[in-house]
Amino acid sequence: MEIRVRCNCGEGSCEEWGIVELQGVVEPQSGFHDSLPNLHIGTLCRPSSQEVYTFTVGYHELAGSKVPLKKPMVVLKKVKHPDGESGCKVELQVVGVIRHKILFKNRPKALISKPQMGSRERPKPIMLGSSPSNQAA
Amino acid sequence: MESPQPGSRGAEALKNISPGSSISVAYHSLFGPHDDLLLLELDEKLLPDVLHERVVLRGQPDEDAVLCTPSKTYAMKFVGTSNSVLLVPPANHSEFYENPQKNDSNMEEDKVVAPVIKVVSGNMELVETAPRLDKLKSFLSEKTYNFDVGNLEDNQESTIGLYNWNDLVNNIQASDEELRSGLQALSAVEINGYWRLVDGSYMDMILGMLLKNSVLNDWSLNALNEDEVVCTLESDGFPGVLARHCLHTYGTKLNEGMPGRVWKLDEKRVCIHFAKEILKGGKRKLESFMDEWRQKVPDGMQPSFDLMEGEVLTERVGVETWIRAFSVASLPSTPAERFSILFRERKKWEWKDLQPYVRDLKVPGLSSEGLLLKYTRRTQPSPDAEPVFSAR
Repeated sequence: MEIRVRCNCGEGSCEEWGIVELQGVVEPQSGFHDSLPNLHIGTLCRPSSQEVYTFTVGYHELAGSKVPLKKPMVVLKKVKHPDGESGCKVELQVVGVIRHKILFKNRPKALISKPQMGSRERPKPIMLGSSPSNQAA
Repeated sequence: MESPQPGSRGAEALKNISPGSSISVAYHSLFGPHDDLLLLELDEKLLPDVLHERVVLRGQPDEDAVLCTPSKTYAMKFVGTSNSVLLVPPANHSEFYENPQKNDSNMEEDKVVAPVIKVVSGNMELVETAPRLDKLKSFLSEKTYNFDVGNLEDNQESTIGLYNWNDLVNNIQASDEELRSGLQALSAVEINGYWRLVDGSYMDMILGMLLKNSVLNDWSLNALNEDEVVCTLESDGFPGVLARHCLHTYGTKLNEGMPGRVWKLDEKRVCIHFAKEILKGGKRKLESFMDEWRQKVPDGMQPSFDLMEGEVLTERVGVETWIRAFSVASLPSTPAERFSILFRERKKWEWKDLQPYVRDLKVPGLSSEGLLLKYTRRTQPSPDAEPVFSAR
C-alpha cells in the first residue's frame, strides 16, 4: 500500500515546532497524574544574550544550551480519511519542522536554598522523585 | 476567535526568549500520548521533496515501510531515546490552539508559556537503500504474454494475475524512477494498461519474423522504419504493441532528423538472444555452439564469445570446453541471496568469472570491495596468482 506525505504549508512557511530535551524522566507527583493539562513543569530562563539556558524543575536546576539539529526534523501527523471502497485511507501530513532544540545534557543539580512553600500556586510537578517546590520566578 | 499575541506562547516563545527573561514550560491543555504525531529526521536536501509532496511511503503491512522520493528509496528506522523530549507546537497551530483565557490558573495568565503537547520517545531516521525489486519479476512472471494471448481479441483476457502501475507501486518498495528502470531491465511492456513480460519463444517468433521481413523487403538492420516494420508485422498476425516492443528490446532509436521513427538493431542484444535460444536445450560443446550461433544470427552480425559475459558458465572437461546458460538477470538482486546462489553453483570463483555476476549489485554506502569483503573469502596462493573467491 501507499501512504502519501501531504503538506499544506509549502516551502518556507512551514511552522516551526520546538523541543526541550533533558535527561531522565519528568515525573509528576502521584496526585497530579490525572490533572496534567496546563500544569506547570518548570521555568526556562535565558540569563544572558548567549544561547545558554537554565531549566528549574522542582528542587532541580538544569544547565543547557540551544543547539541546531544536525538534520532537520519534520513533524508528521497520521490522518485517516474515510474511503469508499477499502474503508480507510491513511495519509501523513507535514504539520511542522524542527531545526533547534534546547538541550540539557547534564544531570540536574539540586538547589541548595530551602524552597519557600507558596500557598497560591498549586504544587509543582517534580522530577526524579524530588518533593514539590516553588520557584522564585 | 482571539488571536494569540505573537511570540507570547508556544514554540515561538521557546525560540525567542529574550536575554534576561524566563518562560514557563507547562503541560498543554491537550497533553497526551498523541501517537499520531511522528518525528522524521531527514537530510536538508530531502526537505523540498517532502514539502512539495513528492514523497510517499510504500510497503505491505508485513514489510518495513520505505520512504520513496521520485528517484530514491530509503529504509525507515525508529531511533528511540531515553531522554525526555518535550514537544512544543506553535501557539497558532489550529489543532492545538488554546484560548489563553481558558487557562484556569490566574497566576499564569500573563506569563509566557511553552506548552508541551507530548513527550516524544524517539524519531524516524532514513537510510538510503537499494530498491526491493525482486518481487517485481515474480509478479510479472505469474502470467506472461504469449502467442495464445496475442491472438485473443482485445480485452478478452482475464485480468487476474495482471498488474497495472498502481498495483505495482502498492506492492513494490521502490521509487517511481527505480521501478521504471526495473521494468525496463526486465524488458517489460505495458499492454492494455498492464505491465507484462513477453514469453521468450513468442519474442523469438516476432524477432524471427522481423528479420525475415527485412530480407524480403530489403530493409537495412541499421535503419528500420518503425511504421513500416509495425505495419508488416501486424499483417503477419502480430499485435502492433509487440512489434514496437520488439524494436525497443532489440534495437536503439536513432536520432531525430530522419523522417518517421527509425531504429537500429543492436548487435549485442540480437546475438545474445540467439545464443540463449541455442542454450535452452542444455549445455553445449563450445565449438558446436559457436558454429550454430554464427549460422543463426542475421547476416552482417559477428557473434563473439565476449558478448556472453554474465550469460554463460564455461567448464573444462579434459580437452573439451562446455558452456551452459547462467544468466545474471535470473539471479536475485539482494547481495546475500546472490552470493549464496553463486557459491552453490561453484565453490570457488576467479575474479574474471565472478565479476560479471556481481558488478550490478549496488548497496548504498557499501563499495564493491566492501561487498566482496562482507560476503566472500579471498585467497591468493601466491602474490602473482589470480585471487580466488569462496564463501565466508
